[in-house]
Amino acid sequence: MNGFFNVSSSPHVRSDESTATIMYEVIIALLPAALFGIYRFGAYSAAIMLIAMAFAVLSEYAFQKLANQKVTIMDGSALLTGMLVGMNMPATVPLWMPALGSVFAIIFVKQIFGGLGQNFMNPALGARCFLLISFTGLMSDFAVDGMSSATPLSDLAATGKTDLAATFLGLTNGVIGEVSAIALLIGGIYLIVRKVITWHIPVCYILSFVVFAIIFSGKGFNCTYLASEVCSGGLLLGAFFMATDYVSSPITEKGKIAYGILLGVLTGLLRLKGSSAEGVSYAIILSNLLVPQIERFTMPTAFGFEPNAIEGKKGIEWKHYRSVGILLGITLVSGLALGGAYQLTKDRIAQQELAAEAAAFASVAPDADSFGEAEALTAAIETLPAADGTVADGKFGKITYNDAYSAMDASGEVIGYIVNVTSGDGFGGDIEVSVGISVDGATTGLEFLTINETAGLGMRATEPEFKEQYVGKTVDSFSLVKGGGASADNEINALSGASFTSTAVTNAVNAALYLVQNA
Amino acid sequence: MKLATFKGGVHPDEGKKFTKDKPVQTYLPKGDLVFPVSQGIGAPSKPIVNKGDQVLMGQRIAEAGGFVSANIVSSVSGTVKAIEPRMTMSGMKVMSIVIENDGKYTPIPGLGQYRNYEEMTKQEIIEEVKSAGIVGLGGAGFPTHVKLMPKDPDAIDYIIVNGAECEPYLTSDYRSMLETPEKIVGGLKVMLKLFDNAKGVIAIEENKPTGIANLQELVKNEPRIEVVPLKTKYPQGGERNIIYAVTGRKINSTKLPADAGCIVDNVDTVIAIHMAVSETTPLMRRIFTVSGTGVNAPSNYNVKIGTSYAELIEASGGLKDGTQKVISGGPMMGFALTELDIPVVKTSSALTCMLEDEAAKYEETACIRCGRCVQACPSHLVPVKMMDAAQKHDMERFTALHGMECYECGSCTFACPARRPLTQAFKMMRQAVMAERRKKG
Repeated sequence: MNGFFNVSSSPHVRSDESTATIMYEVIIALLPAALFGIYRFGAYSAAIMLIAMAFAVLSEYAFQKLANQKVTIMDGSALLTGMLVGMNMPATVPLWMPALGSVFAIIFVKQIFGGLGQNFMNPALGARCFLLISFTGLMSDFAVDGMSSATPLSDLAATGKTDLAATFLGLTNGVIGEVSAIALLIGGIYLIVRKVITWHIPVCYILSFVVFAIIFSGKGFNCTYLASEVCSGGLLLGAFFMATDYVSSPITEKGKIAYGILLGVLTGLLRLKGSSAEGVSYAIILSNLLVPQIERFTMPTAFGFEPNAIEGKKGIEWKHYRSVGILLGITLVSGLALGGAYQLTKDRIAQQELAAEAAAFASVAPDADSFGEAEALTAAIETLPAADGTVADGKFGKITYNDAYSAMDASGEVIGYIVNVTSGDGFGGDIEVSVGISVDGATTGLEFLTINETAGLGMRATEPEFKEQYVGKTVDSFSLVKGGGASADNEINALSGASFTSTAVTNAVNAALYLVQNA
Repeated sequence: MKLATFKGGVHPDEGKKFTKDKPVQTYLPKGDLVFPVSQGIGAPSKPIVNKGDQVLMGQRIAEAGGFVSANIVSSVSGTVKAIEPRMTMSGMKVMSIVIENDGKYTPIPGLGQYRNYEEMTKQEIIEEVKSAGIVGLGGAGFPTHVKLMPKDPDAIDYIIVNGAECEPYLTSDYRSMLETPEKIVGGLKVMLKLFDNAKGVIAIEENKPTGIANLQELVKNEPRIEVVPLKTKYPQGGERNIIYAVTGRKINSTKLPADAGCIVDNVDTVIAIHMAVSETTPLMRRIFTVSGTGVNAPSNYNVKIGTSYAELIEASGGLKDGTQKVISGGPMMGFALTELDIPVVKTSSALTCMLEDEAAKYEETACIRCGRCVQACPSHLVPVKMMDAAQKHDMERFTALHGMECYECGSCTFACPARRPLTQAFKMMRQAVMAERRKKG
C-alpha cells in the first residue's frame, strides 16, 4: 500500500461498453450483408468498400490534424461511416466515387458540424444522396457479371411483382449492401440481441411502411407483394443500420417510435406516390432533420409526475404544439397535393397515351379504317419468343413484343397488322416502335411510341427521312448500311453517329416482320 | 412468474461472490471509538457527556438536536477521551465524541432484557425506537421514529422491508436473512403493531434465493406478512423504485413514502427495531461488509458503531499491494476515502476495496447520443440534456428537466459508453440548486 488512494465521486464502476466497442459491434453486424455483396458482385465491390473505409478514416485523421483536434480515428466511427458509404453504392462505380463519398461524409456532414455526436444527419446517407444527385447515372448503374438488370424495386414498380425468394436471399440487383434481406436481418437481430439498438425504430419503421402500403398501394393485404416491398430497395439496410444511427435519431423511447412511424410513412409516400425509388435514403435524411422537434415532444415523464408532453414545462400548452402542427400541416398538404395531382392526372395521362397510340396506328396503317384484335399474332407473342430459337438467340437484340392488332378496311376485311415492339438496345434506354405491315408483307409505316435518344443524333430516327426508308418495301428483313449508299430494297442507311439507335429500330422492325411471317 | 421491478436501471457486476458465503463475525474494537454527532439526515445531535466522563455500553452520549434528529448511544464502556472534529466518510471533519474503550463492555442496567412488544402501547414502542437512536441504516439515515409517526397512521397500508441489497458487493442484509431471519420478521411485526391497516412486505432481489426461502418459511403462518421476490437490477432498492415495484404507486422527490401509504425500512433497520423494542438494546452495532478485489480476506462483520475502518481492514487481512481505491459503501453510491482512520457510523454499510479504479481507467469522449443514460435512469429523466444544462451551469433548465429528481444512483454514468461524468455533474448542480433555494428561503 502506498498510502495514496484515488478519490473521485461515485459511481466507481463503469460498464464494459465504450463508443469503440459499439461501433465495432455495428461493423460486425454489417459483415454478413457486406460479405454477401462481395459474393454477389465480385471482388471489385470489396475494393469499393475498402476504399470508402480507408478514405473515411484518412479524411477524419487529416481534418483533426489540421484543425488541431484530438485524433479519434480509433473509435471506429469513421470506419463504420466508410463501410456504409461503400455498401450504399452499386458495384459498378469507378473507384474515385467511394473515395469522394467518404470524404464528403466525414468532412462535410460530420466534422464541419463539430465531429462525432454533432452531425444532424447520417453522414453515410448524406454522402449517398450527394452522389446520387451529382452522378445519377453512375449511382444507378446496377449490373451483375457485366449484365445490367433491373433492381427488384424497379421491377416491382414496373410490373407489380418480383421474385420474392431471390429478393430474400439476395440473388438480385442493387447497391452492394442492400441485396440480401436475410443477411441484413441476421445483422439487425444481432444488434438488437446485443442491445446495441432497441427494437423501436426498425420495427415501427417496417410496420408503418407495411400499413401504408396496405392502404395506399392499391394491392391491399397481399403478403407476397408486401414482403417484396420490405425486402427490397434498401429498406432493411435503412431500418436496421441507417435510421438507428444514434447521433441522428431520437434518444427518447417515445421519440424512437414516432421517428419510426414517420420514416415508414415518408418512405411509403416517396416510393408508392413519388417517382423516385430512393424512398429510404430521402425519408431518413428528412426525418433526421425533424429529430430535435420529435425529442421535444417525446420527453419521458419524470417518475412520479403527471404526464407532460413538453420537456420541463408543466401541462400541455398549445403554443408548443403550434410549430409542429404547422409543419405537419404543410407536410400533409403538400403530400396530398402531390398524391392528388398524380391521381387526377393519371387518367388523363392514360387517355393521352391511348390517343397517341391511336394516332400512331393511323399513321402506320394509313389505309385502315378500323382496328381490332389479331388473335394469331397475340398468341404468337406469348409463345414465339420462347419457342422460336431465332428470337431467343438474340438475332434482334434485346427485343420484347408488346402487343399486336389487325387493321381493317371499311368493309371489315383485314388488310394488315400492327405490331408494337420494344428494343432495349437504344442508347438512351428502351425504344418502342409501332410497325405497320400489310397482309402481303409490305411495311406500311413505323411510328415511335417511346424514344429517349440523344438529340441531334439518335433522335433523328424520328424524322421522316429516316423512317420512310422502311415504308412501302416488301422484304423478309432489313439490313443497315453505314456511310450512306443503300441501294437494294432491304438496305437502310444508318444514322451517322447513332449506330445504336439505327440498329435498335431496324431490329424492332425486323422482329415485327418476323412475327407476322411466323405467326 | 413476472418479478416485481421498475423501468430503467443497469446491471453492474454484482461482486457478491466475495462475501456471500462468509458468516458474520463479531468484531471487538481495539482502539478508540469515534461517534460523529451527525450520522444521518437532520440536525446534529447534542453531546450530553464531557471529556473525562465514564460511560457504559448502551449509555446515551448525545441527544437528538431537533425533531428530525436521533440520539447516539455508546457501543462500549470506557472514558470520554475528547470531543473534537474528526474525519468522516464524506471527507469532511465532523464534531465527534471519542471514547477510549476499557475492553470490559460493562452494560447499563437492563440491557438485553426480553420485552414483549405486544404488551406495549404504540406510543411506548415509538418512544423506544426514538430512545434507541435508530435511523435508516441503508444509507440515508433518516430518523426511524419520525418515519413511524406519519400524519395519518391509518392511511399506511404497506410496510416494506427493503431487502433488495442492489448495491454491488454488499452482503450484510443477505447474511442477516440467513443467520437472523427471525429478527427481521420480529421487527416487522413490531412495526405492524403500529399500523392496523398495513400489510408487511419483505421485498428481496431474486439473486438471494436462500434468503427468500428462509423468510417465506418463517412467515408462512403470518397472514399480514408476504415475501415478494424482485428482479435483480440496480437500483432496485431505491426507495421510490421499491415502492413502485411492490405497490405500483409512484412518488417523486417532493413526496414522502407515507404519501403513498408506505413505510420503507431496510433489513438492518428492521432488525434494529426488533432489538430496541424486544431486546432492550439500543442501536450500537450494525452488519458490515468488507469486500472487493483489493482486500486479502473479504468478510462480513457484526461491528460496533464507532470502530475505525482501519481496524476492519486489518482484521480482513489488510489491503493488497496496489489497491487503488477504498470506498465507504458500495461502488455505485459509496464515498471514495482519502484515509482509513474513519469511524463506522450508523449509515456505513461496507468497505469496498478496488485493485483497479475503473473511474480513472477510462477517458471521457464525445457523447454519441446513444440514449443509454435515458434507458438507465430510474427516475425517467434525460441525463444527456441535464448534462448540457449542468455544463452551462444553467440551474433553471436543470430544474425544468426535473434534475432535482435525480437521487445520484449513478446508473447513467455506469451505462455511458463515452464515460462522461454525468452523476458527478448532477451532484454539483443539485447542491448549487439547493444552496440557491436556501438563500431564497
